[in-house]
Amino acid sequence: MAYDKKPLVPLPFLRSGKTASGRVELEGYQVAIISVVVGLIGWQIFSDLVIANSLFLASPTQVLEALVSLSLSGELWAHVKTSAVEFLLGYAIAAVVGVATGLLIATSPFWKSWLQPWISGLYATPTVALGPLFILWLGIGIWSKVLVVVLLVVFAVTINTEAGIRSTSERYLEMMRCFGATPRQLFLKVSLPSATPFILAGLKLGIGRGLIGVVVAELFGSRLGLGRLIGQSADSFNMPELFAAVAILAASGILMNSAFSKLETRLVPWTKD
Amino acid sequence: MTADKLEARALTKHFGDLEVLHEVSANIREGEFVALVGPSGCGKTTFLRIVAGLETADGGAVEVDGRAISGPGRDRGFVFQSDSLLPWRNIFDNTIVGLELAGRISAEDLARTRKLLDLVGLKGFENYFPRQLSGGMRQRVNLARALAIDPELLLMDEPFSALDAQTREIMQVELQRIWEEGRKTVLFVTHQIDEAVFLSDRVLVFARRPGRILEEVEIDLPRPRTIATKRDPKFVTLVDHIWKLIEHDVRESVLFEHH
Ligand SMILES: Nc1ncnc2c1ncn2[C@@H]1O[C@H](COP(=O)(O)OP(=O)(O)O)[C@@H](O)[C@H]1O
Ligand SMILES: [Mg+2]
Repeated sequence: MAYDKKPLVPLPFLRSGKTASGRVELEGYQVAIISVVVGLIGWQIFSDLVIANSLFLASPTQVLEALVSLSLSGELWAHVKTSAVEFLLGYAIAAVVGVATGLLIATSPFWKSWLQPWISGLYATPTVALGPLFILWLGIGIWSKVLVVVLLVVFAVTINTEAGIRSTSERYLEMMRCFGATPRQLFLKVSLPSATPFILAGLKLGIGRGLIGVVVAELFGSRLGLGRLIGQSADSFNMPELFAAVAILAASGILMNSAFSKLETRLVPWTKD
Repeated sequence: MTADKLEARALTKHFGDLEVLHEVSANIREGEFVALVGPSGCGKTTFLRIVAGLETADGGAVEVDGRAISGPGRDRGFVFQSDSLLPWRNIFDNTIVGLELAGRISAEDLARTRKLLDLVGLKGFENYFPRQLSGGMRQRVNLARALAIDPELLLMDEPFSALDAQTREIMQVELQRIWEEGRKTVLFVTHQIDEAVFLSDRVLVFARRPGRILEEVEIDLPRPRTIATKRDPKFVTLVDHIWKLIEHDVRESVLFEHH
């Protein structure tokens, strides 16, 4: 439940008689839209007038043209579908394994001692560099990419899940103990709900990491996928197509992130406001 | 003579080298409201936690209804200093949590919880979340949650200490009204002398370093007591008397805390 309205953002140069301060005031998201539009216009002007050579920078209109022609030929859909399948498979596996491992090491000192060094080490390692090796192992198809995504996402989820369980407030645990809670009840009714915001944060972090994983893994060798499209556009100096692929990746990243924020407001409303 | 609800015998407790409690004995009769008052750091919370079974004493024994306690139990309800309401549960689900832990929730439990929320003045707030409530309201939930398990003994640890002065006065009167409804046996810890005198039938005055009982003061003020009771000369005399008992300790605790 929102108690107070979000603050309005005053615009610096514009004035109007409608508000008390005499300034034009807009909601945050309206200003964000204006910011994006201004950026796109600036980009268009810059690439038309200053660079003027699409070998170095494609303008937004050129990117849009590339997007249209790629999708009309059906090529774009094939790339998007392949990358999406790789991402979703890897992400789903990483989410399940990551949460399970996090819960395991949070509740068992034995497993924590055994697994913690590997988890911390592999989280810090750019495992994406092992992509070529995975292609040797698993072939040039989707599974070598899925593995890269899993490795990039899983440890972020594990570490966050473990931190979430560990940071459960002792006050809540003690209160529940006082009311006769069993260890199992403490876990299910206190630790787990209290760790949920952390688990969601880990999963959100995984979105960006997973997208990077898909693209880089595909760059190492693939037949289809947005990474493949980026690689082949770069080889042929087709900047509009390269930007088109990047734009789709950016859009899907933004979309998934905002969907996740919505999910957070629904699932863990107590961490908001 | 009614039987003793609680009997604490010669409780001793150390934290490392620090002797926090020294042979503290206390008896509380069924239906009695007893306050424990003393300067901060004198071991009040430690004493209450031992009675609740959250802490074990180095020596001595605690009996509820003649049975030695072994750990926390549903025969004792605890009202915490910080309300410890679970932020992901609404007010109703927070209040019923003790019954829920005991097993399946019956229709009777639901009705009972609803009635208790009504009793503490929170009818209509069942679906609110803790963050939407004021400190005073959250402490009412804290109290209702402890009453919901229908404990033999209600243990309260400075439940009003985080509230502003006006809210605290209102809550004191409210607590008395709620207590009159069921006449539970209560052990109420506070550092506020007037609060202790206002609420209780008997005040145990604590001294610090080590924590021990200095004196027991019977409070024979008629009930129900009102805000006006606090201006009654008898009330003032009692508060004065207790203040003189612990004045030295309070000074020392203040100086000590400032190191
Ligand atoms: N778990 C603990 N470990 C070490 N010292 C503690 C612990 N709990 C309380 N103490 C110490 O015991 C003394 C009494 O504490 P407490 O019972 O909380 O006092 P009160 O509730 O009267 O303010 C204090 O000096 C406090 O620092
Ligand atoms: Mg205390």
